[in-house]
Amino acid sequence: MTLRLTERAETVARQPVSRRRWLGKGATSAVATAVLIVVLGLIFQACSALGLWSEADVPAPSTVLAEFGRLLGTGEFWGDLGRTALEVLLSIVFGCTLGLFAGVLFWKLPRVGRAFEPYLVSFYAVPLVLFYPVMIVLVGINASSVVILASVMAMIPMALNTTVGLNGIPPVYLKLARSVGAGPRRILFSIALPAAGPFVLAGLRMGVVYSLIGAIAMEFTTAQAGLGYRIRYLYETFESEQMFGYIFAVLVLSCVITLSLQGVERVLSTGGRR
Amino acid sequence: MTVHAPNRGGMPKRLLDNQFVGGLALFIVVILAWQLCSSLTFVIPAPVRTLEVLGANLTDASYIFDLRVTAQSVFQAFLIGTLLGGLIGLGLGLSERARLWFEPLLVILNGIPKIVLYPVLLPLFGLIGAKVAMGVLFALFPVLINVATGVREMPRVYWKLASAVQANPWQKLIYVILPAIRRPLLAGLRLAVSLSVVGVVLSEFFATRRGLGRVVLQSYNHGDYPVMVATVVLLIAVAFVISILLWRWEKRLR
Amino acid sequence: MKPSGIEMSEVSVRFDTPDGAVHAVESVTEHVPDGSFVSVVGPSGCGKSTLLAVISGLQRPSSGAVAIGGKTVTGPDPSIGVVFQEDSTLPWRTVEDNVRFAMQCNGVGKGEQRSRAREAIELVGLAGFENAYPTTLSGGMRQRVALARTLAVEPEVVLMDEPFAALDQQTRIFLGAEVRRIWERTGQTVVFVTHDLSEAILLSQQVWVMSYRPGRILEVVGVDLPAQRDPAIVSSHEFNELHNRIWSVLQAESMRGFQQQEAARA
Repeated sequence: MTLRLTERAETVARQPVSRRRWLGKGATSAVATAVLIVVLGLIFQACSALGLWSEADVPAPSTVLAEFGRLLGTGEFWGDLGRTALEVLLSIVFGCTLGLFAGVLFWKLPRVGRAFEPYLVSFYAVPLVLFYPVMIVLVGINASSVVILASVMAMIPMALNTTVGLNGIPPVYLKLARSVGAGPRRILFSIALPAAGPFVLAGLRMGVVYSLIGAIAMEFTTAQAGLGYRIRYLYETFESEQMFGYIFAVLVLSCVITLSLQGVERVLSTGGRR
Repeated sequence: MTVHAPNRGGMPKRLLDNQFVGGLALFIVVILAWQLCSSLTFVIPAPVRTLEVLGANLTDASYIFDLRVTAQSVFQAFLIGTLLGGLIGLGLGLSERARLWFEPLLVILNGIPKIVLYPVLLPLFGLIGAKVAMGVLFALFPVLINVATGVREMPRVYWKLASAVQANPWQKLIYVILPAIRRPLLAGLRLAVSLSVVGVVLSEFFATRRGLGRVVLQSYNHGDYPVMVATVVLLIAVAFVISILLWRWEKRLR
Repeated sequence: MKPSGIEMSEVSVRFDTPDGAVHAVESVTEHVPDGSFVSVVGPSGCGKSTLLAVISGLQRPSSGAVAIGGKTVTGPDPSIGVVFQEDSTLPWRTVEDNVRFAMQCNGVGKGEQRSRAREAIELVGLAGFENAYPTTLSGGMRQRVALARTLAVEPEVVLMDEPFAALDQQTRIFLGAEVRRIWERTGQTVVFVTHDLSEAILLSQQVWVMSYRPGRILEVVGVDLPAQRDPAIVSSHEFNELHNRIWSVLQAESMRGFQQQEAARA
């Protein structure tokens, strides 16, 4: 049997069906999302004003926004952001490159792919974060321990998606390639990778998201710099307002990343054609 | 599993065709690598030593209590997360409007590092509730997304059939929708199991009185690496085994 | 005299399956004259596609050999063009780039690629669609793209493996006529596999009837119809006579194949 799992949970956006929204629907969704966010914010604000929870525990959205604005002017914030960004960027580059290679390898050597499949499928759900304490014992509390684990986390969806995509290439493409005498390199670059393109892109998108999630989660548990670390630090020193400013910053960051990835994916998968 | 051509490849090659054998070989390689690493640095206990520590831990009443606390939270998180995810997913799958309105927000929510929400959950749900809530947040999305896509991609003829035999909504759900989406549903459940473990244990790293996450962090702080590694290995092994079993089941489904 | 055409000698192909060996092709010794149009018909599951794969060099025969123009086929070769049953257009390339793909693999110069691609696109009647993507084309048009890709390499032999099987009846008849017209112009040797008997008779000079496993050539029937064929010929007496004659053989074979498959499933 070849690798043929369908990690539907994580690969929804690659379905052309859901991507082929015409403008009307896209606009509806955009407006709806904006409205929902504003409404949720207002509800939160109202609850805070009514005193449903203490302002010291969870500050009102207006306070958080103001704090976020203030943070943008501090060097500390940009330092933490830079650290996290560097870690995430490095893990994306390492993780996705390795994942792509691994995916091609598993496709070329189905036996190896089959042996790895159960592990990849299970670690997909990332109990890997739990390795973090082990990792810092080994490498020390520094960026490289975060980068290593976040890279592995990014690598897994990339490898899996690439393999699934490559194994799903219509057999006739490979027959065609053979019949016109295409060499292995041409088969890989002109047939296999373009044919698996949507899957590779989805893998890339998930790799980026996973490395962000992984990096922040690890900073959060134990690290000495970065956005995740700062949140934990502020929590432990009871600086609630500032902490929520940081939490908001992380939300904004991941939101921006998710949206821009979807944009990039849409352009790459449809913009080239038509 | 497929039956292989009788005269292809020698004995070892044919054995490696078997996924179980291949996976086992890989497992052994990993264990050997672990053994090698442990001989290079004192901070990693050898596999055998880890097993001993694990065995000792499992006879320790206090450790068992931590284990039970974590297991309970994971179970609750999994249950609530799956139910909630299934219901929301069903709604999104059935209603195009609901999808247009809520899907982008859910996609964005799925992309955030949920652990940073812990300080928000803590005052809202309390110490015990917060880690369950975190587990729910982790477990929710795979089920939700898989159910929504599964329902949306159901062959149209099933709907026609259901209407033709005049099935009521409940019958549609039980006899048509659930069987039709059983594969993506099971895949979602599989991810939800591991993710609820991750969510709960990560929360326990952060602030809790009991639980295996706390054991890991405490042993890390005390430099008691064998206990730390043994606990991490236990958690990963449990999540892994459940995930593999569900995965095999999923593959066998027609 | 220089050997010409396609020469098959004692070609056999056996597959090992869990239920024992399958003799897809069994000692086929036939000759396709240079420049002729031969159709192979047979019940589904007989080795007609396998036989074609052997001629194309994509499948190695278990025993026996195929020679084209006196040269033994050892693997795929630019002188052999194949059109597949499945849609083989690459969706990320335009029509023109799809047609150029085979030439790129064979090291044809850039300028030459362009002119030959245009010519082939024109020949299959797709002029004006050079920059379209396959996803915007109908199934019939995509098969024309595949045909143009094959023709652009200017092979000596064109092998077609049920190229119109996935198309509707009207498109099939129409594309069949196109293929015949193109063949009349290029004079290439064509082997055309189909399960549609009318199509086979309408297009070719010779119809080979293949048996269900083991796949042998049961009969070679010369199609003695005028070279100028329009689809109206199907109602002629000669056509019907040929059709009935081949059908009587084919029907028995199909029945046998059907029964064997049912028995294997039981």
